[in-house]
Amino acid sequence: MIGVQDFIRYYDWTFEYIRRQSGEEAVEQYWAESIAFNSQNHANVLIQGNGLQGMAEYWGHTLDSEAAGFRAELKEDYYRIDMYECPSKGSLIQIDQEEYHDYCQHCMGWIKPIMDQAGFVIDHEHNHHGQCWWEMRAVNQAGEDSEPPIRDAGDVRLRENWQQAQHDRWLGSRSVDPKNGV
Amino acid sequence: MAHGDFYFTINATFYHFTEKWGEQAIIDYWRAMGSQYLRPLGARFQAGGPASIAGYWSEYFAGEPGGEVVVSQPDADSVLIDVQVCPAIRWLKESKDAATHPPAHPMYCQHCLHVNQAMIEPFGYSFELTGGGGSCQQKFTRTPNPSQESVQ
Repeated sequence: MIGVQDFIRYYDWTFEYIRRQSGEEAVEQYWAESIAFNSQNHANVLIQGNGLQGMAEYWGHTLDSEAAGFRAELKEDYYRIDMYECPSKGSLIQIDQEEYHDYCQHCMGWIKPIMDQAGFVIDHEHNHHGQCWWEMRAVNQAGEDSEPPIRDAGDVRLRENWQQAQHDRWLGSRSVDPKNGV
Repeated sequence: MAHGDFYFTINATFYHFTEKWGEQAIIDYWRAMGSQYLRPLGARFQAGGPASIAGYWSEYFAGEPGGEVVVSQPDADSVLIDVQVCPAIRWLKESKDAATHPPAHPMYCQHCLHVNQAMIEPFGYSFELTGGGGSCQQKFTRTPNPSQESVQ
């Protein structure tokens, strides 16, 4: 059976299988439709119904979460995640697997469509080595499309190993990386 | 213990394939997974024999949340996996967020059949599956005449 304990390696392989069979757009469509609104519909229901609070319920908001390799914070006008050691990408790094060329893209691939529908914009950056940050805020709270300031000592951008490999970045839900079409 | 919500992702993926590309497409996907991605596992089973198959699946099912599975070796050439409670089907039916997701895909149980057949048949075993819908029996049997590929 395809189980959940090693699902990530199958997930990565599936992205590449779809890309090989049907092209890059089909992978993006898979994330935007079936992952966002079927697989992750429990997240969708929470976020559509409760906005930032729903995000906190879905991703968790206590400092205890740092034990799982990330920190999530609910603020008055935004919800932020600092991922220090992504368990998903980390499991692929551990087994030296990279079937699909851009595994980290899948998170934006499913989260953005949900946020679009719920009326939130996303600032996000990942470094392809299991580290990323996210800030979600309501469209009507959105200001300039500039990178948020360093928030505090727990900001992943201050980590010694943050500046490695290639970074992909979105501001106001728009990619600032040419490969993502903007 | 891994989190069971990935069963929602597996189920969503099966729906995606059949809704976008039809039933044959998902069978092709499963068979490609077995024959390509899991080829090293098939080779490992061939080298280690039924004991390695039994050991692998016993450990694997123990790592899935909510399953009740007994793995045995009824004879020297076969391995029987008695899935009394399938962890995936249980999660899709009974977990906290099950109500916000579609039910198990009508072909869900067939993934075990097609993935395992495509993975193991080149290595001199047959794979059979009976039952489904939450409980099934799966059997790996060493065949007397392995294919040419398996003996190379």
